[in-house]
Amino acid sequence: MGEYYIGLDGGSTYLKAALIGNGQVIDTMVRNTGIDNDGTARKLAGELCARNSLSPSDIGYIMATGYSRKVLEVADDDISEITAHAYGVRLTAPKEYRPGMIIDIGGQDSKIIYLDSNCGVKNFSMNDKCAAGTGKFMEVIAQILETTIDNVGPLSLEATNPCDINSTCVVFAQSEVISLVARKYDRRDILAGMHLSMARRIIKMMKKSEKGGDILMTGGGALNVGLHRAFEEELMKDVYVAAYPQFSGAIGAALIASERG
Amino acid sequence: MTTETKQAALKKRQDNRFINKETQTAAKYLRRLKELSGAPDGIEPFYDTLERIYVDMQSADVPKGMKTIGTYCVMVPQELIYAAGAVPVKLCSGNYTAFSVGDEIVPRDACPLVKAVAGFKQTGLMPLYEDCSMMIVPITCDCKKKIAGMLSGECDLMTLHVPASRDDDDIDDYIAQMYDLIEKLEKVTGNEVTYETLSEGFRKVGYAQYELSEFIRLKKQTPYLVRGSHEMAILNSASYMPADKWGEALHKVNESLKERAKSGQTVTAKKLPRILLTGSPIVFPNMKIPLLIEEMGGIVAGDETCMGERGMWDPAVITDNSFDGIMRALANRSLRPCPCPTFADNKQRIYRLKQLISENQIQGVIYHVLRGCLVYDFEYKRIEEELGQLGIPVIRLESDYNEEDVEQLRIRIEAFIELIKLKQAPEKRTSVRTGF
Repeated sequence: MGEYYIGLDGGSTYLKAALIGNGQVIDTMVRNTGIDNDGTARKLAGELCARNSLSPSDIGYIMATGYSRKVLEVADDDISEITAHAYGVRLTAPKEYRPGMIIDIGGQDSKIIYLDSNCGVKNFSMNDKCAAGTGKFMEVIAQILETTIDNVGPLSLEATNPCDINSTCVVFAQSEVISLVARKYDRRDILAGMHLSMARRIIKMMKKSEKGGDILMTGGGALNVGLHRAFEEELMKDVYVAAYPQFSGAIGAALIASERG
Repeated sequence: MTTETKQAALKKRQDNRFINKETQTAAKYLRRLKELSGAPDGIEPFYDTLERIYVDMQSADVPKGMKTIGTYCVMVPQELIYAAGAVPVKLCSGNYTAFSVGDEIVPRDACPLVKAVAGFKQTGLMPLYEDCSMMIVPITCDCKKKIAGMLSGECDLMTLHVPASRDDDDIDDYIAQMYDLIEKLEKVTGNEVTYETLSEGFRKVGYAQYELSEFIRLKKQTPYLVRGSHEMAILNSASYMPADKWGEALHKVNESLKERAKSGQTVTAKKLPRILLTGSPIVFPNMKIPLLIEEMGGIVAGDETCMGERGMWDPAVITDNSFDGIMRALANRSLRPCPCPTFADNKQRIYRLKQLISENQIQGVIYHVLRGCLVYDFEYKRIEEELGQLGIPVIRLESDYNEEDVEQLRIRIEAFIELIKLKQAPEKRTSVRTGF
C-alpha cells in the first residue's frame, strides 16, 4: 500500500495540494482553480507525483477539503476545512506553539478554531457572511491604492501614522479609503489602518472564554506581515505564523489521509 | 376598472403568490423528509397531516362540527380543551413565507416564530388560523406578550399568565386561571365541562402520551430504529391531529419499530455521531437543522425542544380524584416539570439534558437559538459550561426563517460532526490506486 498521501484544498480561486510522507511535508503546489475543479485537482496530483518521482500506486489515500471538496472525484473522501486546518498545524506550527487558537484568513472567509492540548478541535467561530476580515477586503483596498496583495504587508510596516478606518463593510470601507486618498493621506498609513481594521474585525469573533494556549495564524492572510503585526499590537501578545500557511488545509487533509491509508 | 376592483385584483394576485410560495416551501421540506432514509412504516398519516395543513392548505382533520382552539407553547392543558368538546391545534409557526410577511409588521429583532404567526394572521389565508374559535396564549416571553395583544384585535383570545417561579402560590394562581379557562371554553364551545368530559379528555391525551413514551423507549435503542428528523415530523403533526388519532397512528409506528428491533433492521449499519438538539422550537417546515444534521452524517438521537418530544412528555400526576384534584394535577404538570426558559430558575433543564445525554449516549449537543430568542440564548452559557465538564462538546447554531443561512449551518454542522467522528477510530482504505 502507498506510503505517501495527498491533501487537496479546493478554494474558489486557488486549488492547493500537499504531499506528505513519513509524517513530513514533502511538497506543495498551487494552481488557479479554473472552471474544472476536478480536472485541475487531477493534474495537480499527477504533477506532484511526477515531481517527486512517485507513481499513483504510491499514494495511499487522497483527502479533499475546501469549498469544492465534494466535487473532487479524484479524492477518496472529504473533510471540512475546520478539521483540516486543525490537523495541519500539527505539522506546520512552530515547536514552541502550545495549542490554543488558530486564526485562518482565507480569500473568502475567516475562521477561528479553538484547539485542545492535543490539537483536537474544541470549538470554532466563522465569518462567512461577509467579506470583512478576509483576503477579499485586502484585494479591494490594494487595488484602490494601486498595489498588489503581496506588497500591502511590507508597505504597511513603513507607516508612521496609521489611519482610522471605521467601516466594517468592504463596500463602505472602499469609499472611506478613496476619500482618504483624495485627502492626500500616505498610502502606507492607509494600509496600516486597513490591517488594524481587519485584525479588530477578526478579534471581535473570538470567544472570550477560550483563552488557553497560544495564537497561530494560517491561511493566505498569514503571509501578510502587516496583518501579523496588527494582530500582535491589538492583542498585545505574540502571535505565531504557521509554516506553509497557504497550504494549512491541504497539509491537514493529507495528514488525515495518512490515518486512512 | 374602478379602484376597488383594481385593489381586489391586486390582493388576489398577492394572495396567490403567497399561497404558491408557502405551499412550495412546505412541499420541499416534506419531500426532503421523505427522501431521508430509514423512515418507519406507518409514518404516512403524519406526513399526510403536514401536507394537508401546509401544502393543501386545508383545515385540521377534526370530527365534523367540532371547534378548533388555537394554542401556543406547552402550558395549555389540552385535556381541558377536549373536555369542552373541542380540539386543540398548536399555532406556533415555522413558516418562511409567513415570516417574510410578518417581518414587515413586527419589529426586526422579534423572533421569527412570532413574525410568522403575525404574517399568517395578516394574510388571513391559512385555514388553521382562521378556523380557530379562540386562541389561548401563555405569556412566556415578550414576543408572545405583544403578539397576544396584536391578535386579540383579530380573534377571541385569552392570555395565561405564566409565573416566573413555581412556588405553591404560583401554582395556586395558575389553577385559578385554569378554572377561568374552563369558563371561557364553555362559552366558546357551548359545551359544559363535567367530571366525565374531563376524564375523557384525560384518557385521550393520556393515550397519546403513553404511545409517545413507547416511541421514545424504542427510539433509544442502538443501533437506531428511527431518525430524529422523522421523530420531529411525527411530533410536529401532533399539533394538527386529535390526540387519540395521533396516538393510534403512533401505535402502528411503534408496532413496526418493534418488528424492526426483532429483525435487526436498523436505520443504518454505520456508527453515526449521536447529537442532542436543544433550544428554540423546530416547527415544520423549518426542518433545516435536523435534516442537515442527518444529511451530514449524524443522527438526532436526543430532542429537547418543545415542538418535539418534550411537548407531551410530562404526565399529569393525579393524587386526588376529585374535579379539583384533576385541575390541580393539570396546573402542576403545566408548570413544575417544564424546562422552558420562561422560568427564572431553570436548573431542571440541565438535569433533563444530562438525563437525555446519558440515556441516549449522546456525543455532542447542538444548541439551537432562533434569532431574537433571548430566553433560550441566555441559558446557552451555563449549559455549555455544565456539559463541558462532562466532556460533551456543545455548539450554538443561530438560525432564522429563511434559507440564506443554509450553507453556513451546513459547514458548522459538518465540522461538528467531524469533531465527534475523529474521536473514534478511522475507516481505512483497502484498494490500490492505479491512476488519477
